[in-house]
Parts: sequence; structure tokens; C-alpha cells
Amino acid sequence: MQRIFQIDGEETECWLGHDGSRFVLNTPNGTVACQLDPTGLPGGYTLRAKGVVRELRLAVGPEATFVHMNGRTYEVGRVDPAERLAGSDGGTSDDRLVAPMPGVVVSVAVKPGDTVEEGQPLLVIESMKLETTLTAPRDGVVAEMPFAEGDSFGLKDILAQLAPEEK
Amino acid sequence: MRRIESLIDTNAADYKANYAAMSERLKEFHARQHAARFERPQRDIDRLERQNKLGVRERLKLLLDPGTPFLEFSTLAACREYDGTVPGAAVVTGIGIVQGREVAIHANDASVKGGAWYPHTVKKVVRLLDVALENRLPVVHICDSAGGFLPLQHGVFPDRYLGGRVFRNQVKLSQANIPQIAVVGGHCTAGGAYVPTLSDYNIIIEGTGAIFLGGPPLVKAATGEEVGVQELGGAVMHTSVSGTGDYRAATEQHAFSLAREIVSQWKRTPKTIIETASYEEPYYEPKELYGIIPKDRKTQFDMREVLARVVDGSRFHEYQPDYGTTMICGYAHIWGYKVGILANNGVLFNDSSLKAAHFIQLCNQNRTPLVFFQNITGYMVGREYEERGIAKDGAKMLMAQGGSVVPKFTVIANASYGAGNYGMCGRAWDARTLFMWPQAEIGVMGADQAANTMADVKIRQLQREGKELSEEEIAAIRDPVLEKFRRDVEAYTSTSELWDDGILDPADTRNALGMSISASLNAPIDDPHYGIFRL
Repeated sequence: MQRIFQIDGEETECWLGHDGSRFVLNTPNGTVACQLDPTGLPGGYTLRAKGVVRELRLAVGPEATFVHMNGRTYEVGRVDPAERLAGSDGGTSDDRLVAPMPGVVVSVAVKPGDTVEEGQPLLVIESMKLETTLTAPRDGVVAEMPFAEGDSFGLKDILAQLAPEEK
Repeated sequence: MRRIESLIDTNAADYKANYAAMSERLKEFHARQHAARFERPQRDIDRLERQNKLGVRERLKLLLDPGTPFLEFSTLAACREYDGTVPGAAVVTGIGIVQGREVAIHANDASVKGGAWYPHTVKKVVRLLDVALENRLPVVHICDSAGGFLPLQHGVFPDRYLGGRVFRNQVKLSQANIPQIAVVGGHCTAGGAYVPTLSDYNIIIEGTGAIFLGGPPLVKAATGEEVGVQELGGAVMHTSVSGTGDYRAATEQHAFSLAREIVSQWKRTPKTIIETASYEEPYYEPKELYGIIPKDRKTQFDMREVLARVVDGSRFHEYQPDYGTTMICGYAHIWGYKVGILANNGVLFNDSSLKAAHFIQLCNQNRTPLVFFQNITGYMVGREYEERGIAKDGAKMLMAQGGSVVPKFTVIANASYGAGNYGMCGRAWDARTLFMWPQAEIGVMGADQAANTMADVKIRQLQREGKELSEEEIAAIRDPVLEKFRRDVEAYTSTSELWDDGILDPADTRNALGMSISASLNAPIDDPHYGIFRL
């Protein structure tokens, strides 16, 4: 697995391996043999790499590790490669709420002309003994709510329509 | 694996209302559980003391390794039977640790009806021995029983899964080289005599323990012979004359230290190796489940929010995240053990059923145990879905699930209705353990649907006879049916009838699963093989 670290805001790709006797850091610029030994002080370690010996202190947090070395503090964050490399979700949100299955409208929370925020409940439907709240796919203005409380609807009927987004 | 991003707002009014409702339910649940374990009429407590016997909970304390967990099964068995007078069905069962080994425990509770076997007692013991067989767990029996409860002998004795099955399972355990030990701390009469005699080892406590096919009163009635308990089947006679007993213990304390010593002689079989990671607590607080489970059972909720409060580090690798979205499939770790999770996020459609069938095969391929989280109202009905072959796709899911070779575990987290219960590894599908949450419901359909269906049949029948019914008359037909159905689908009915291995506080789910998975690895995992998938 490839790892991506963020050191003081800058992303670095590397992969820590072990050759049987010591750690080896594989970086895009080649491999570096390294060794980390505890000094006995809380969070204290001696780092040996490229013939250089450095005393450092580590503080490990849930989101990042802080390295104190040479009088400076570096924040090293781990970036999940699968998440980072997935890129931004390119999909545009739909203007319509389409019925996922046939059912009955239990209640309607908004009317045409209402301004809604993403995630705001628009209506509650019931099908197969389950009540499901359908929410706004994005911020916008309600254009149409074709069904009223108690109405039955079919699969893929449009249950709510938002006004087109203005560019 | 990435952490599930929870969208729960713990300050929201809904969350707080749910939390309050669940807390109220749990208060009742914990009180009932405490009563079933510890509250007894004074005369029963006095009798045990007079007989110089320890209670079953003290005996377990002497047996189990201090500071280790005990996974107790079906504490509330029989809670809705016999007017509630047989708490726990007069027996304690579970998985515990003795000398570092996982063992199945079957212990009579003599503070309840002298430890007599009621129909539900037999069901609970047979289930425990099935657990021992499936998971290859050694068994410790603690015998102290008045024998079968005679007025209900037809529910205790004759059928395939009744009394005889206890002894049959003991034979099968022995045949599979799974060791058993019995500590006789009371009478083992008639059939009960076979529990210690079919065990590989047994210990009889002097003064209180005795084994005989017929007790003194029966012997007198049958042959006229007058004989005392000790001469007929006491510790001294059996360990020095008949050889029916192996060890004589001077006291209860002596008996259980001997039992521990014997268990430590047993060969340890290496556990099945599956993928593991280092143990990590969930990132999100498990008690937040109380606010996530809607107080109205019909309200939909995102099962990922539940998984985030059960699995290690709240980390989840989701399989096919954008396909068949009413079925969540993916990998996670529980107590460090890699598991494949199937969790309902709505009704089962064609695509969600196919996704489940495929994912189950993936887990069998790489020997990953399966964990099912049920919140299922059924497979989708209607013309559109029948034309797409919903029954055929459901059959594929059943074929994959039922044909699995990996251990399976089921949590009924909310609804468990109809064929959805089957697809999601309900009781009939050999889950190694199956637990229910206190607000969960189980039935062939929801209480309202069942009551309406039955009332409609009745109303139409009366209409055919020319009777016009008023609103009140219809209500008079429907309401009692509805009342009965509402009670029948409750978790307390399920657990009373041993359709599950117990009700869980949702926050304890993670530990119950962790122990179950750990125990299951005492048995090997076969190579995957299946029946015919209807394509």
C-alpha cells in the first residue's frame, strides 16, 4: 500500500518497508535506510538515516503526529490514499427526487416556492412497512411537489422537483 | 480502511427523544435481567442454604477464570411462560473461560423449582450443546436438578429435540473428541444420570451430589427396597464401588478447583487462523446507538451509523457502494477479527439481493466470517419486481447464505419480517450466535398488517353471511388480534421462546460479537461449496 503523508501542508508519497534488519523508506527519489530507537524519555527517539543522527520527540494524535526536531515542530498527517486519489465527486446533484419504490405519501414538509437547504426533509413516504424521509439533494427552491399526503405513487414517479440552478 | 463519517447530531431533538426512549426500555430490560438472575422467593434461598449448596452464580464464580468475560445465553428464556415462575428456564448457559480455554457451560439453577427440566430448559440446554458442537467447545456441566417437570413431561421427553437430544448431543461431542466434564452438586436422577455418565470426567460433591436411575422413593415403590440417598448413589459409593463417578470432592470449593485442574489437562487445539488487525475501540461512542435507533420502529435509519458504533476504529471498506444500496456490504474488524458485514438499509430489491449473494461468496472465498445486521421488512413485492424475478434473486441470496462455510453471526437490530429474516440469516440458518435488540420485532409480517389481514378475512366472512358491521364492531374484531400480534412480535416473546440467544443492550453488541467470533474459531472452516444458483 502506498502512503501519502502531509508534512506541514505539503503532500509526500512514501512507503515504509523493512528489509529484515531495519526500516527502509521508499520515496519517489529512491530508498533511505533508517532506524528509530527509543531514548527512554517520554516520546523520545534517536533517528539514524543517511549517516545522520538526530534526537527527536514524537507526539501521536488521532489525526496527525507531531515531530519535534532541531527546535522545530513538524505536523505529519496521514492521508488515506483511496480517499485522496478518488478525486472530487464530479457528479452534479439532481433537481428531482425520484421514487425508489411504489408507496404512499405520509406527509409533505414543503411547498413550491420554499427555499430549502441540502439535507432538509421534503416529504415522508411509506412503502413495505417502512417510513423513509426524502431530503433535498442540494440547496435550492422547490418548483413542484406533485403528490399530497395520502396519495399513492409508482416506481420512479417524481416526488419533488427543484427549480433549475442559476449559473 | 476508512472511517465512517457519522452525520448524527447528538444535540438534535430526534436524537434526544430516541435516546430517552431507548434508555427507558433498557432500564426495564436490565431490571428484568437482574431479576431473572438474582431475585428468588425467600423459601428457595433458604432451601439451598439448608441443603448446604451454593447458588449457581457462586458456582460459576468458582469455575471461571477471574476477570474474564462470560457470554451468557438467553437469560430471559421462558420469561413469558409458566406465569414467569421459571426465570432463565431454571438453567444458566453460556461461553466462559476456564484455565485460559473457551468452554461452553450448562449449569442447573436449583434456586428455581429445584432445577427441574421444563420444556424451555431442555430447549436451552440442547441449544447450548449445539453451540458446543458447531464451535467445537469443551463443555462443563454443573448438575443439580430435580429431574423432568412431570406435569409437562410431553414437552420435555419424547420429541426429536427434547430430553433425549441432550444426551445424543453429549455422545456426538465425545465422538468428535470434544471433552466434557460434569460437576455433580445435587441429584442427577433418571435421564439426568446420563449427563455425568456421558461426560469424560465427573466429580461428585460429598453429601449433596448423587447419581441414580431411580431415587429412593421410586425404588421403594418399584421393588419395596428401602435405601438412603448416599448408599444408593452418593459420592463415596460411586467413586469407590460402582466407578460411575471419577472424583469425590469434600466441598463445592474443592469440586471446582478439581474441575479447573482437569480442564487444564486437556489438549489445546490451535484455533483457525483468519485475517486479523490490531484491536481498536470504535471511534464513535457505542452508547450513541440509543439516539440512532428511532423510537418509532417504522422510521428508517442509516445502518452505517450503527456499524460506526460497533466495529474497530469505526472503519469500514464498503463493497459496491453505489449498487443495490438498500443492502450494505463490506469488510470491517471486530475485536481485531476481519468480518464481512451485511446490513439492511431498506427493503431487499433484485439488485440488493444479487449484491448480497455475490458478497457472501467473496467472504467464503477468503474465509471471512459473516455478520448480519437485520432491519428488514422483506423482499419487495409487486408486479414489476416479480417480472424481474425477485423470488429467483432472493433464492440466490439464500443459496449463498445457507451454503456458506464460514461462521455466521446475526444481530436483529430492528425489524425482522418475512423472508427477509431468512435471507439475513435468521434462526433457522445456523448463525453461531443470534442476538436481538430490546425494541426489535420478529414475525411473518408486521403486527398491523397481520391484524388487518386476519380481521379482513373475518369481516368478509360475516359480510357473506349478510351481516353489515359497524365501525365499533370492526374495531372489536381487530383490536384484540392487534393486541395479541403486537405482543407476539416483541423481542421478549422471541427470547422467552429461545428464537434467539438473548437480548442485548445495543452498546454490548460489539463485545458479544467479539466473544462469539473468538469462540467460533475453535472449529475449522471448510472449503467453499454451494448448491445450484437459479440464474
